Amino acid sequence: MIVADPKPFLQVKGYLEDFGKILVVGCGTCTTVCLSGGEAEVQILASGLRIAFGKEGRQKTILEDCIQRHCDLEFVTPILSRVEAEGVDAVVSLACGVGVNFLADRLGNVPIYPGLNTTFYGANAQQGLWTEMCAGCGSCIVAHTGGICPVARCSKHLLNGPCGGSEKGKCEVDPKNIECVWQLIYDRLKRLGRLDDLRNLLPPKDWSTASDGGVRRSAREQLYDVK
Amino acid sequence: MEKSSSGSFKVMAGEALATCSAACPVHTDTREYVARVSRGDYEGALDILLEVNPFPSVCGRICHHPCESRCRRTGIDEAVSLRMIKRFIVENTRAYRIARRKKAMRVKSDKAAAIIGAGPSGLTAAMDLALRGYRVKVYEKDTKLGGMLAHAIPRYRLPPDALAQDIEDILATGIEVHMGCSVGVDISFEQLKKENDAILIAVGLAESHSLPIPGTGSQGVFLGVTFLWDVANGLCPQLGKRTLVIGGGNVAIDIARAAKRLGPEKVYLACLESREEMPAWKWEIAEAEEEGIEILNSWGPKAILEKEGAVAGIEFRRCGSVFDAQRRFSPTYDESVTNTVEVDSVIVGIGQKANLDFLIGSPVSVNGARLTCDRESMATSEPGVFACGEVMTGPGSAIQAVGTGHEAARVIAHYLETGKILKLANKKVIDIGELPAATAAEARRFDRVCVDLTAPAERVKDFSPIEPVYTEEEALSESRRCLACATGAHLQFPNHCAGCLTCMRICPFGVAQVRRTAFMPVQQCQTCGLCAAECPAFAIDVLRFPTGAMKKAMVDSVAGLDLEKVARPFLISYCCVNGTTSRKYLKDQSAEEIMESGVLRVLVPCVGRLSVADLVSPFELGADKVAVVSCPEDGCFYPRVEDWLSRRINRTQKYLDEIGVGKDKLQLFRMEGSGDESWARIWAGFRAVNIETAVGK
Ligand SMILES: Cc1cc2nc3c(=O)[nH]c(=O)nc-3n(C[C@H](O)[C@H](O)[C@H](O)COP(=O)(O)OP(=O)(O)OC[C@H]3O[C@@H](n4cnc5c(N)ncnc54)[C@H](O)[C@@H]3O)c2cc1C
Ligand code: SF4
Ligand code: SF4
Repeated sequence: MIVADPKPFLQVKGYLEDFGKILVVGCGTCTTVCLSGGEAEVQILASGLRIAFGKEGRQKTILEDCIQRHCDLEFVTPILSRVEAEGVDAVVSLACGVGVNFLADRLGNVPIYPGLNTTFYGANAQQGLWTEMCAGCGSCIVAHTGGICPVARCSKHLLNGPCGGSEKGKCEVDPKNIECVWQLIYDRLKRLGRLDDLRNLLPPKDWSTASDGGVRRSAREQLYDVK
Repeated sequence: MEKSSSGSFKVMAGEALATCSAACPVHTDTREYVARVSRGDYEGALDILLEVNPFPSVCGRICHHPCESRCRRTGIDEAVSLRMIKRFIVENTRAYRIARRKKAMRVKSDKAAAIIGAGPSGLTAAMDLALRGYRVKVYEKDTKLGGMLAHAIPRYRLPPDALAQDIEDILATGIEVHMGCSVGVDISFEQLKKENDAILIAVGLAESHSLPIPGTGSQGVFLGVTFLWDVANGLCPQLGKRTLVIGGGNVAIDIARAAKRLGPEKVYLACLESREEMPAWKWEIAEAEEEGIEILNSWGPKAILEKEGAVAGIEFRRCGSVFDAQRRFSPTYDESVTNTVEVDSVIVGIGQKANLDFLIGSPVSVNGARLTCDRESMATSEPGVFACGEVMTGPGSAIQAVGTGHEAARVIAHYLETGKILKLANKKVIDIGELPAATAAEARRFDRVCVDLTAPAERVKDFSPIEPVYTEEEALSESRRCLACATGAHLQFPNHCAGCLTCMRICPFGVAQVRRTAFMPVQQCQTCGLCAAECPAFAIDVLRFPTGAMKKAMVDSVAGLDLEKVARPFLISYCCVNGTTSRKYLKDQSAEEIMESGVLRVLVPCVGRLSVADLVSPFELGADKVAVVSCPEDGCFYPRVEDWLSRRINRTQKYLDEIGVGKDKLQLFRMEGSGDESWARIWAGFRAVNIETAVGK
């Protein structure tokens, strides 16, 4: 799942100073699940904007909406229509960056602003806590590391670790909160009886499948003519 | 579920009833009337009672309350005291009840029906038929209406005034009543048949069974129903110093307790059954014993001994068993064990039977002392003649008789319209089942509110009522013990649910589950509303006290204000409804009151239900400060709510800082004692604080 955190309120408000009619749109999938961009957060942000602008004596119309996903045309179309029909001056999206981009591409001359900082692909470690698990590098290597990703979960993205900053299983970057992934990999391989795998050092990674190779696409031939 | 005209939740076919409503013969919407009491709407609660029961005043006094016997709260501690709540409602809405009476119904049909007997069953049927626009005449041999309620149940349990309230209401529907008119004596059955299109026999079980033993003709032997009739009519039967009542049921207990009040030094009650087998309610037996009545169990009367034609004693033989293997009444005796009790009077209270002499010579078929009647269609052997009440069912309860009265009206109306018999569907009532033990184990215990009966030594002095009515504080407090079964959380917007699992994780009762989307099994949900407050998609609502309705009420209240004129600082205070001990704070506030006081109170069933959005929105409406007033420490009905709420408040306070309101404008307070005692103080204190200089908590 994509995880995102709320932006500081004043930053969001700052984007909107010049607009009269603002639509706050939530997303009903990932950011609802990570409790930062669903129906409830839309209401909270919209309410906050009304109050904050109101305190400055500025009357703005703050509209609210929430769609199932920001990353599919059929779901965003009603938002596009609403923006046009109601003469919305600016949109704030509580989707991840994907959603903001997808809408921006389609919003014509109406500006869109992010309400969230999109952070990572992660999992729900505990109630109310998400942690990073994957970096979307485009050529997965976890077959060699016991299913645990050093690209995403090592602070230094080391393919052959650990570094000297691993102490008692913790990462020197933030020993309270970050576990040393290479300790995790070691423990896991040991449990799998495959510690010897660590002798085969991983070769330098080809980052062209990651963003280094240009903007990526992903096609399904049965539905799309690959050019 | 669907809302009925009065706004209560009518459970639709196929849906489960709360166990209490399912157990009630007329399926009173228990949860709804209790909920209305808990928010101070006693009039609305009466509306719910009257929807299905024309005898709420009677039932508030003497109903044997099958609802309580099946209340799911028994799985946690004790049943909700529903009968006492009902009585409170009726006694606190007298003027309203008179005002809400509809005018007498206009007769809309040329069809006429005669009802024989003005007991609860006959009167219920009469009322229903009158409301449907038929011409209805009730024939009652007695000079009072109400059947056994009027001339058998002693006044210390059911004072005439309590019965009169129900009867007056029923009569207001425009039924025609002929009192002191015994069918078969004052008017013949044939005559009724000629004058009417349908006849309902609702004559109850008016006569006592006698005992087939020697001595029953002696002076000083009374039959139970006659005895109680005399007592009810102030005729004070002359009892000797020592009186013995035969019988082990509720009627026998009433006889013994009534007898005790007439002055004998000693009152015995003797019955075939062992203590455990006695059919009388346990609480009735206990109260009788408190009054000094001595119970002689497992004795069968053999002969009443007489001296010069008057009772001198009674001889018993040991009763070994009362029922056979098939649970049929078939007592066995050990003749070698006998016992003689010297007494001066004997009252026989071993059961009642119908007097059907008025049917002699009519085509209506009678089998022994029993009327031939088909339970499903309530039809007798004669077309157009129906039966209801105890004459059909055998001994039962007032509310059961009422239930059959409603059914009789349905079949008769059908007959009058179509000339055909209506078979009542043998509807199986589905209830939500017992409270699962795992859920019960998580629930907090709260003592049932009990009242003290008059002390036994006092109460045997006369026929004054012995049970006080709940005070308002008691009624409110008891109403809040109801678990509001099956009116809890539900996924109101299934397509908003992202399956995030928050509800499942937060539910303190382990109820909410997620399988693709969330669901909250009705059997288990305890209606705390925590899941709804935390749901990031606002997909969940709670049926009882829906959150949306609460918000709307707040917005509407503010819309009615002139914000310029509101006393500042304007405080919106969320308060837990459970803190109120009177209607003082349960009443709607007028705009003037809010503007003058500068306080708008928003009552919620538990402040733990408030979401962050709920905590922010009052500021948007113009509030300067927002107070959240929760229960006293450990007073909350739901576990772990306090913790979740204070986390939510913390988050909101930080946000209020960000948006320029200031975190100290939102404060959580815990009330001390009741809301009536402490809210005003809390509001005044909070309004007086100068927030600009106040230090955050
Ligand atoms: C002592 C006693 C205590 C009870 N206590 C309770 C209690 O605590 N709780 C509870 O729920 N129930 C109690 N009951 C039961 C309850 O009273 C009955 O279930 C209920 O009254 C039955 O109603 P009914 O309409 O069938 O008949 P009834 O109430 O018996 O009414 C029948 C009416 O028909 C009239 N009648 C009979 N023959 C004729 C005729 N030929 N012509 C004209 N009129 C006629 C009678 O006078 C009577 O008024 C008690 C009953 C008794 C006897
Ligand atoms: S707790 Fe309330 S709704 Fe549930 S059975 Fe008891 S009275 Fe009925
Ligand atoms: S309302 Fe309370 S008890 Fe019911 S499912 Fe939600 S959290 Fe659980």
